[in-house]
Amino acid sequence: MERRERFAIAVVLLILIGLPAAALGYQYWLRPALSSTRMIDIRAAAPEAGGFQPDAIQVNAGETVTLRFSSTDVTQGIAIGPGLGIDLGHVDPGQVKEITLTFDHAGTYTFYCNSWCSPDHWRMRGIVQVDDPANPGALPTSQRDPVIEALIAEGVDIDDNVHTDDHPLPVISLDRVPSVARGEMLTSTVNVPADLQNAAWRRSHSPAQALDLLIADNPSMGRAELADVIAYLWSGGLSAEQITAAQTLYNKNCAACHGETGAGDGPVASSTENNPVIFADAGYMFTRRDDVLYAKIRRGGMGTDMPNFGTLFTQDETWALVNYLRSFSGTGQGPLGDAH
Amino acid sequence: MRWLHTARIWRLPLLIGLLTLAWLVFPFPGAKAATTRHITLDASQFAFSPGRVHVNQGDRVVFTVAAQDVVHGFYLDGYGLKTRVEPGVSQQIEFVADKTGKFRYRCSVNCGSLHPFMIGELVVGSNTPFWRATGLIVLAAIGMLVYLWQSGRVQEMKQDGTLQSSTP
Repeated sequence: MERRERFAIAVVLLILIGLPAAALGYQYWLRPALSSTRMIDIRAAAPEAGGFQPDAIQVNAGETVTLRFSSTDVTQGIAIGPGLGIDLGHVDPGQVKEITLTFDHAGTYTFYCNSWCSPDHWRMRGIVQVDDPANPGALPTSQRDPVIEALIAEGVDIDDNVHTDDHPLPVISLDRVPSVARGEMLTSTVNVPADLQNAAWRRSHSPAQALDLLIADNPSMGRAELADVIAYLWSGGLSAEQITAAQTLYNKNCAACHGETGAGDGPVASSTENNPVIFADAGYMFTRRDDVLYAKIRRGGMGTDMPNFGTLFTQDETWALVNYLRSFSGTGQGPLGDAH
Repeated sequence: MRWLHTARIWRLPLLIGLLTLAWLVFPFPGAKAATTRHITLDASQFAFSPGRVHVNQGDRVVFTVAAQDVVHGFYLDGYGLKTRVEPGVSQQIEFVADKTGKFRYRCSVNCGSLHPFMIGELVVGSNTPFWRATGLIVLAAIGMLVYLWQSGRVQEMKQDGTLQSSTP
């Protein structure tokens, strides 16, 4: 073999082997070696194509890690929660977004897609398991939620709104859509029982129950006016910022099925097992307790396509969301409160 | 005088040139009054519905873009307008269609495998450059025939037998 021929073969081999070796070597060996923190590459794909890979990562409390998110098919949105306030925004295919962070105590967090990337988008979640280095063998304990535990102890069926032929949707009849604004004006002229003035009591009782008590105490008033007062009492008293935050959460996570105006007519509603609940229906929402709505959001619906959001949202965010749901039927103070 | 003679030669081409220019830029009569047009655009994998929108020049156009399955985007070429649409939360884009012509609107969020083909068209005003050019070509063809006839070429061709004629 001639010298030039050997040289040509060497050049070809260099390109065929050297180039991938350099690229992959940098990706998997050189860059992690040069980095001062532990690097974890997470590739995101639509759930039908595999979801997050890996979908579970383990770190120690106090350890600083760099998470590098990339997408292999469509535009994804990356957020980590609950309560961390981390939203990396959109990750286009070919783009890498990274975040360096330190988890200060043991527990579990969720990294999830917050952009509707495919019909199964809501399944796209991964787990960050934060271990206590002092106690490495300990299994993460499940997060306790006193509200849901109290409902279970009380024997409340969170899923009693899943209606079938022999189990109709719980609903009461109202003469008109209640208005928070009208209720606020009326409230000083109405005899409001002490229970109804207690926020904790209101959370664990439905507006329909409260309306019966209010009617009993104010026999001279009309039922429609008293319903306005109940709407005002259940409006939550959130600040404008809290409502905007709740609206953002709703639009990103709920509107696809429940609809932008809570009418249950979102574009994905046609593909769910049961029809999504209609928050704009005041007669139905009057039968709902705040703590049941809260539990449903956090735990998800049994036997329906309602996902659980307890691993994504904080408890305060969930309560704000409950108030936002009430705003669709005029019983809250959201932007749509009195538009109906 | 020599220059007058030259001008005489160039008089016809100059006239034709000026007429052509006038034909291409002179506004057509009967332009419609500008109105506001509300158009709902449904975006789903992998098409916009409607896929083609006609408006008149000067119209105020309000596009309501609604994603029907996954997150989509809307980008209008020429006007440089862009929005992102989550399913369930429609977005409005409002602008005055002051530029005439055909503009593509396309999905600006990578929504799936056929995302690059998710394209629609906005047509502003009648597509006059095309029709004017067509008219110009037809006129030029007629002009060429007339010129050939005038210059006696047709008679020659008849005599040669290159061009058959039924009339004696």
